[in-house]
Amino acid sequence: MQELAVKMQEITKVFKGVVANDCVDFQLKKASINGLLGENGAGKTTLMNILFGLYQPESGTISVNGTQVVIDSPSKAMSIGIGMVHQHFMLVRPMTVTENIMLGMPSKRRPFLDTARVESELIELSQRYNLKVDPKARIWQLSVGEQQRVEILSVLYRGTEILILDEPTAVLTPQEANHLFDVLRIMRTDGKSIILISHKLEDVLAIANEVTVLRDGQLVGQAQVTAETTKRDLTNMMVGRDVLFKFDNQDSALGKIKLVAEGISAKNDKGLMALNKISISLRAGEVVGIAGVDGNGQKELCEVLTGLRTMLSGKVTLNGKDLTERNPKEFIKSGIAHIPEDRHKTGLALNFSLSKNFILKEFDSSRFSRRGFLNFKAIKENAELRMAEYKIKAKEHGVKAKDLSGGNQQKVILARELSSRPEVIIANQPTRGLDIGATEYVRQKLLEEKAKGVGVLLISADLEEIRQLSDRIAVIYEGRIMGILDKSASIEQIGLLMAGVEAEGVEVC
Amino acid sequence: MQSDVLTVGFLVSLLAGAIRLSIPILLPALGEIFTQRSGILNLGLEGIMLMGALGGFAGTFFTHNLWIGLLCAVLVGMLFSLIMAFLSITVKANQVIAGTALTILGTGLSAFLFRAIFGIQKLPPQVESFQPLKFPILTDIPVLGPIFFNHNILVYLTFVLVIVTAVVLEKTTFGLKVRAVGENPKAADSKGIHVQLVRYICVAIGGAYAGLGGAFLSIGFMNTFLDRMVSGRGFIAVAVVIFARWNPYRALAAALLFGGADALQMRLQAIGVPIPHQFLLALPYVLTILVLVSVSKKAEFPAAYTLPYTRAER
Amino acid sequence: MLKVWAIIKRILVSILPSVVAVALAFGVGALLLLVAGKHPGEAFLTLFMGALGSPNRIAETLVRAVPLMILALGISIAFKSQIWNIGGDGQFMMGATCAVFVGLNLNLPLVLLWPVTFLAAFIGGGLWGGLAGLMRAKFNANEVITTLMLNYIAMHLLSWLIRGPMIDPLGQGFPQTALLAQSVHLPIIFGGTRLHFGLVIGLLIMAAGYFFWRTTVGLKIELVGESEHVARYCGIQVPKTIILTMFISAGLAGIAGWNEVFGVQYRLLDDISSGFGNLAIVVALLGNLHPLGIVISAFFFAALMVGGNTMQLMVGIPFSLVTVIQGLVIIFVISRVVYTQWRDRLAIRRFNSGVSGQSSGRSH
Repeated sequence: MQELAVKMQEITKVFKGVVANDCVDFQLKKASINGLLGENGAGKTTLMNILFGLYQPESGTISVNGTQVVIDSPSKAMSIGIGMVHQHFMLVRPMTVTENIMLGMPSKRRPFLDTARVESELIELSQRYNLKVDPKARIWQLSVGEQQRVEILSVLYRGTEILILDEPTAVLTPQEANHLFDVLRIMRTDGKSIILISHKLEDVLAIANEVTVLRDGQLVGQAQVTAETTKRDLTNMMVGRDVLFKFDNQDSALGKIKLVAEGISAKNDKGLMALNKISISLRAGEVVGIAGVDGNGQKELCEVLTGLRTMLSGKVTLNGKDLTERNPKEFIKSGIAHIPEDRHKTGLALNFSLSKNFILKEFDSSRFSRRGFLNFKAIKENAELRMAEYKIKAKEHGVKAKDLSGGNQQKVILARELSSRPEVIIANQPTRGLDIGATEYVRQKLLEEKAKGVGVLLISADLEEIRQLSDRIAVIYEGRIMGILDKSASIEQIGLLMAGVEAEGVEVC
Repeated sequence: MQSDVLTVGFLVSLLAGAIRLSIPILLPALGEIFTQRSGILNLGLEGIMLMGALGGFAGTFFTHNLWIGLLCAVLVGMLFSLIMAFLSITVKANQVIAGTALTILGTGLSAFLFRAIFGIQKLPPQVESFQPLKFPILTDIPVLGPIFFNHNILVYLTFVLVIVTAVVLEKTTFGLKVRAVGENPKAADSKGIHVQLVRYICVAIGGAYAGLGGAFLSIGFMNTFLDRMVSGRGFIAVAVVIFARWNPYRALAAALLFGGADALQMRLQAIGVPIPHQFLLALPYVLTILVLVSVSKKAEFPAAYTLPYTRAER
Repeated sequence: MLKVWAIIKRILVSILPSVVAVALAFGVGALLLLVAGKHPGEAFLTLFMGALGSPNRIAETLVRAVPLMILALGISIAFKSQIWNIGGDGQFMMGATCAVFVGLNLNLPLVLLWPVTFLAAFIGGGLWGGLAGLMRAKFNANEVITTLMLNYIAMHLLSWLIRGPMIDPLGQGFPQTALLAQSVHLPIIFGGTRLHFGLVIGLLIMAAGYFFWRTTVGLKIELVGESEHVARYCGIQVPKTIILTMFISAGLAGIAGWNEVFGVQYRLLDDISSGFGNLAIVVALLGNLHPLGIVISAFFFAALMVGGNTMQLMVGIPFSLVTVIQGLVIIFVISRVVYTQWRDRLAIRRFNSGVSGQSSGRSH
């Protein structure tokens, strides 16, 4: 009987009245890879955070290598051989790779740092597992793929035998993901036990021995991954129905060109070039998807197209009107709606009431103000209308935005942006972090707008989403549009462009 | 009168004065480097320095021992700064308000306690402060001697502390933890580092340095305690830290600059240069603003600056 | 009837933390007095009587409360926008200086002189604060330090002016400006006291403050304070707003200065701002940055100041005790979160185990 590396029994975790894990069982066999599958909000990350000691369960037990343990902190987890590579890297940007890995570890030259020795050990380790990275490099100088390697090296250096990876391929191109799987295979052969958290079926089918599926905080089932296991089987377990999303995405007659970006160059916040003479156009009634690994200029492109970032060169026009060099207010007034990437940091005033959030962009308009004074009656009525229209679940309009769930918060943003009857919608990762219901709702709404003749620019790291919703798919890499593909393009084609591989016969703008 | 300014004698006196007057700015600045590097902005330095000055003075007065007085100042500084630590780290209150409150409290409390302990007297109570050290040959070197080798031990201690601060921050495991906590507390937490504890320690270190800085004023420079003796240096120290971009060596240079302005102002007044003395008095403050304006745009603040950390449970 | 009671209960609940904070601060103050060998009961009684013991005393307290509340209102506007204006003192001084300068040198009929000097004070203070706002907006210079430095600079500037260019020719070298003409002094509204018309003006300003937060400008300022990021995203020009906010905030400080010179001192002195600046910060915070709260809080702290002075004169207790109490009040006010945090955490834990109890029942 093969010993289990990890056995979690009847784990329950509750956050502010929401049951994130409901009496969940989980088992990890030694020297194997277990794919932990589930949609956004299923409870996968929560369960693993408990295993790693970041959260404490309300009830349930954990056994590691046959011995029951209480894991009350990450240090305790690390001391018994459990390591975690998080979705959002836990790296200190200004420090070097070596410094990041030395962090929290005792030094042989106490109290001084033992940089030289650690460096040589790292070089050895990186060669063994094929994780090449320069120990002297600073984190901000590294690509996302290289940063992930640092994270993996970090846990390996600490003698991890049980490795948890949280959505590791979310930030990688398909090719980089394959390389990662090679590394994982080496580790498995080496006797390490691995848990792979993912909502991507391809990942699990490619590498896992077993799969555990969570849905709405509960365990749906655990099964072996065999040659016969199909995506359909897994989807069924994850969502409880056959096919995930089926949209009525008809080809509407393409209208005139609305938004044109020509030859735009711009720098990012660190002063490095983020956009390199990028050009793209958007027609009425069209969804253009921008695919690409996070950090290749998407954020800057969004900001340039909404007036939030200055351009070094290039032009932006909307319906022929030149918006170059104008301030964000002009962009808003001209009809460019913006669903930002980070709804907490940018999209909502969390401590403001819902009613105020609905009118954040137009409170000085004649609808909601009179001679400088706010028209609270109109604001309240507007809020009640929107809440009904978008089925936003909240006690009443005076509730603060921060007290809403993620899905409802995103609905507020949608309501605000769409009710201004825009010409163009720029949606940046609109379904990130939302549960299935909210995700479906947002995607449906975007298609509705497209049907009305609005031009939609969809930026997403979710290739499935891009392929389902877009009429054309543009791939961004290092601030350039590598190519524009038809919506029937394959994942391989898109992946190659995402990795920066130039292709022939591909239309560029 | 103007000609008096250009003599060697004036210059020597000015530079020596610059070094001396840089200390009450440099000491709190060094401590604040620790504090800010860990992500906390402590604006209560002014209050802590006053408490330290009182502690140093009272300690020396009653034990007739300067070193015990110094120890008192350091302890008082550390304890008083723990209030700031509690408010910023545990209560997670706004650090600007907490620091301002601490300054108000320190200003009032030091004045009150001084009166309570010493009462009102015709002449303020005095102690014999740290005397300048005399080095065998070095002090007698013309020009360089009086500038560099004629200071009391606290001055030299401070210079040593500059190096100690730099080494601790860059080359020790503790320093690494401090820097990580200030840049990415979540990452530090995930590596098993106790973020709150590291910050408490850094605030306490800042308090110790500030207490020392206050003591310098009362038992290393003047021989008594005056409730106006810090006169804004605690805040200038914060500006110095930002100007120095959190580097101890640059802080040394900046503090010398400010000390120089202070020293210059005193000497020009004494000579009788026909500038209204108020303008000269305002000089260090104007300089602070100019310095701050010139550096702040490019300064890369520690990413977690003034952001309290909770291990976010969703 | 029930609704009125609900409103009263709500007000009481929101005041409770402040009352507790004040009580605690006085408690510590009492301890200090005991340590210093004085009698706290006697001290605090003198304090109370000195502030409120007679109509004359109450009038005196009101006189101090008015500049304090106007200053605090200005500070609250900046604070609400997360702009930490600590420069109240300096802005007060500059406003007073501009008011006196215009008042002494411009020969206008009363009806015009008051508004003109009022405006001069607003602009004078406003520019002094706007400068710090500009430095923050354009250069990211920390406004706490810049406003603080400007305080010291204003203090020295004032010191020079009243000993030099603006010195009173009839003052025998005393550091002060000439007296403003009798006719332009604000009329006394309560015979025999120093309580002047500025009280009415002050209350009107506070009322305006209440309505300010219902304007579009007010919402803009509030939004910038909530998040600069979000404000920018909504099309607000954040740097301009910051400068405007500082200008308004400092302008109000300047008006507080106008009030003091036209209603009380009638000339410029070194000590014209008498520490109102720091105290106003406390007043604003304790008043929860709300105009009504500020009025109450200003009255309370004015009482503290006036009583404190009396306490010093009559019982020999140093004024620094009042400073200590001020500092403690802020500390206790901002610590009140500890109580609510602790209470919430307990509730959540109980709630969570309740919910999990139900769920494990359900699926097993």
